[in-house]
Amino acid sequence: MESERIEEYLEAIYKRRDRESPVSTSSLAADLGVSQPAVTDMLRTLENRGLIDYKSRMGASLTRSGEERALAVVRRHRLWERFLTDVLGMKWDKVHKEACRLEHATSPDIEKGLSTILGNVDTCPHGHAIPDEKGNIKQVKNTPLSAFRAPAKVRIFSIDYEDPKLLRAVEKLGLLPGAIISVTKKNRDGSLDIGFQNTKLTLDNVTASFLTAEQVPVISLATDECEISLGELQSGESAVIKNFGGGRGSLGRCLSLGFTPGSIIKMVENYRRGPVLVRVHDTEVAIGRQLAEKISVVRKES
Amino acid sequence: MPESAKVKEITVALAGAPNVGKSTIFNLLTGLSQHVGNWPGKTVEHKTGVFHHNGLTMNFIDLPGTYSLTANSVEEQIARDYLVYETPNVVVAVLNAASLERNLYLVAELIELAPRLVIALNMLDVAEQQGIKIDHEALSRSLNIPVVPVVARANRGLRELVTRIEQECGTAAGLRNVKHIEYGSEITEVIDHVNSLLDDGITGPYPKHWTAMKLLEGDEQINKMIRTRMTAERWPELDSYLIEHESAAVTIATLRYEWVERMMAVAQQKRRVGRVSLTERIDRIATHPVLGLFMLIAILGVMYWLVFSIGVPIQEFLDINLIERTRDFIYTLSYMPQWLQGFLADGVLSGAGTVLTFIPILFFFFAAWAFLEDTGYTSRAAFVTDRFMHALGLHGKSCLPLVLGFGCNVPAVFGTRIIDSPRARLLTILLTPLVPCTGRMAVIAIIAAAFFGSAAVLVSIGMIILSLLILAIVGLILNRFVIRGKSSALIMELPLYHVPDLKLIGMVTWQNILAFIKRAGTVILAVSILVWMLAMIPNGNINDSVLADIGRFFEPVGRLMGLNWQMMVALLSSFVAKENTIATLGVMLSGSSGDFTQQLKAILTPSAAVAFLVVQILFIPCVATIAAIRQETEGWKWPALILVFQMLLAFAVAIPVYQLLTLFQGT
Repeated sequence: MESERIEEYLEAIYKRRDRESPVSTSSLAADLGVSQPAVTDMLRTLENRGLIDYKSRMGASLTRSGEERALAVVRRHRLWERFLTDVLGMKWDKVHKEACRLEHATSPDIEKGLSTILGNVDTCPHGHAIPDEKGNIKQVKNTPLSAFRAPAKVRIFSIDYEDPKLLRAVEKLGLLPGAIISVTKKNRDGSLDIGFQNTKLTLDNVTASFLTAEQVPVISLATDECEISLGELQSGESAVIKNFGGGRGSLGRCLSLGFTPGSIIKMVENYRRGPVLVRVHDTEVAIGRQLAEKISVVRKES
Repeated sequence: MPESAKVKEITVALAGAPNVGKSTIFNLLTGLSQHVGNWPGKTVEHKTGVFHHNGLTMNFIDLPGTYSLTANSVEEQIARDYLVYETPNVVVAVLNAASLERNLYLVAELIELAPRLVIALNMLDVAEQQGIKIDHEALSRSLNIPVVPVVARANRGLRELVTRIEQECGTAAGLRNVKHIEYGSEITEVIDHVNSLLDDGITGPYPKHWTAMKLLEGDEQINKMIRTRMTAERWPELDSYLIEHESAAVTIATLRYEWVERMMAVAQQKRRVGRVSLTERIDRIATHPVLGLFMLIAILGVMYWLVFSIGVPIQEFLDINLIERTRDFIYTLSYMPQWLQGFLADGVLSGAGTVLTFIPILFFFFAAWAFLEDTGYTSRAAFVTDRFMHALGLHGKSCLPLVLGFGCNVPAVFGTRIIDSPRARLLTILLTPLVPCTGRMAVIAIIAAAFFGSAAVLVSIGMIILSLLILAIVGLILNRFVIRGKSSALIMELPLYHVPDLKLIGMVTWQNILAFIKRAGTVILAVSILVWMLAMIPNGNINDSVLADIGRFFEPVGRLMGLNWQMMVALLSSFVAKENTIATLGVMLSGSSGDFTQQLKAILTPSAAVAFLVVQILFIPCVATIAAIRQETEGWKWPALILVFQMLLAFAVAIPVYQLLTLFQGT
């Protein structure tokens, strides 16, 4: 019983930490459905066992061994979810609750068996990566859909909140992991107008904040244009700047240096790793690779 | 100029992007009258100077180099706040004719904020070499702003510039009939709507229309200001409108560039022909991931060779002829009481001597630095090292201050100002004391020579490698676990190479030396006097002094490294300045027999000597570096942390080294 509760807490902290670090007691209380004093008590216990670093009023963060333990639970949880959907054919909105119970009763042998039966799966049905048996997990840049600036073409990555109601709604819309949608407009209340499989719909901002996505290159057949990231442009090639995927901070800097949509940009040097060198508005500018990946361009025949 | 508008004193602000020759113009006009300081509360240089013309006093102010006036960086914030709060009489926009397109963007922003604008079109010679011809009169006509062609490097056109500034001052205050940028009906509507949501007077002292635009451009400083000033009921409406029109930032910038292109179409007569410029040819090597690195190493090698082959002899010359002689002279003044002689010769003079010995080396370092900066090479160095620096959470630009740190950590800490991301800057400052400076290396070289004979060079190199290795490890740890936040993306302009301006280099070097003496010299002097006093109290014999007591207090730790209390005192005295270690040892061992090497061998085993080298190279930074860090991080938090951390680090590495070596020797 005790170890089960510990695992629940570690798992909750693990899942929260992308959104806040350290994780506050109030959000843990909300996630686990228990009172705040109970959370504080438990966090003290976890700290004594060296699983978390806990600072009152600040919150908790996982230690190395805490993270290892959390990843092991997360692995079992996500394997079970896969098993329940793929093998038993259960609906994806039901499996979370089941897996929550099963994960604590899973011996290493069962875990091994599950992973053998499932073969090469690397994500759970909701799109989250499954850690391998050594506790390594594929790190992904999961940007909430609500953070994208319109217009953007994105691929749904995962659903972060495993509430059955939300999951059913999302499934009904067809916005499963892997689906490609275009965000056409961002409305005043934060909701998004999106286009998906030739239909237009509006996504409220709560749902949009629970879906994570990544930008995808756009291939538009009408104009025969292929949007690629600046990082993919070869040395010597020219292109026209289309869009930015970066945050506000780097955006201002890019704009004042002349990276405006419609500007012609020439790749001077691109060695596949490290920063790239481009020529834009008559000046050479060096950009870090990460930033270059966020600028989308269309190749131009020169 | 109408008689009535006779102004005796005016303020002129120089604005412009980096690498446009703004500093050259500023130096030519103000010369030695300039005053260099900091902007209040900021670690950005504040330069002012005076120029007299026809009985008119022009107070020039050199604004930080910026590409725009949206607060992406501290520099941009300073520049625009100066324009808004201090309202200079005339703003001179210095533009680089060779990259006019980029530079006109700033003009587009300046038009909104500067009441009277004069454009200094600089580097026309460079533009011509590039095959660019610019019709400055046509540009002036279409902008309706006076444009003065200038070649600052050759001191051409400055007289005309001054005359234009004077004329401009005579025109009626307020906006000339400068043509504002037309942003098109669609975006104008959006700007007007934001404008209508802002209450009157809420934006002061910023113009309201301008504020509306900055809000749409996503300027965080303005956003914060309005949010705190607006009532809680009104803000959400504005906020949601801004979120809805998030893409306006891109639209506004695009429209500004379209305006720039219209201006370019008028002004630029000939487009560049497709010939490979010298810059491109050099850059094929300079920015190549492998060749560029070799080039950097070669350039740095030459730089160090020059610094040491010229600087060190001068330093020795000064030491022998100035310091030693003065010291001897003081001791011949028999009418002085002995304590006063000691105070002047060993306290004041040794402190001053330390500062003085720094100066020749630093002079060449600063000069070499300014030279590389002025040619345009430094940004290439930042480019090729960015990939390595990134792993440590640093920035390509971090490489340069760290390199400077090999000369002296103090200017290296100040040198971090070129890094625009606050996080990368802090990380660089924290890592700087782990770069072995000349002071440390001098001690290492002397002790290594005493113990290891011909292998001394190898041991010294080993020590450098050790400290750089530790620097990398500490960097990784700090980046991962200690300092929160994301590492920032690199984005910087690579300016065209040009022939450096020797006058400018001289000026920059001079200012840096002055700043060093002012910031570090005084601290070094004060602390060396303090240490001298500690060594003299109570009876004038260092072996019974308070300093010795402190050394004995640390002896238990020292014993773990095979170091006796004298070695600990020597180590502690390196806090004043690293090379003081040798001087302190010299004083303390002067009683015993034999020369310095024999004296050292009497109190140190070879393994203890190695441990001492390790401790010396990793030990807490000198007091001047600490003072610099305090100034640049604006508080005692980081310097205190560094003191504690490096003390522990030095012991934590040296103790196992000593223990292992003795174990190894025993078997």
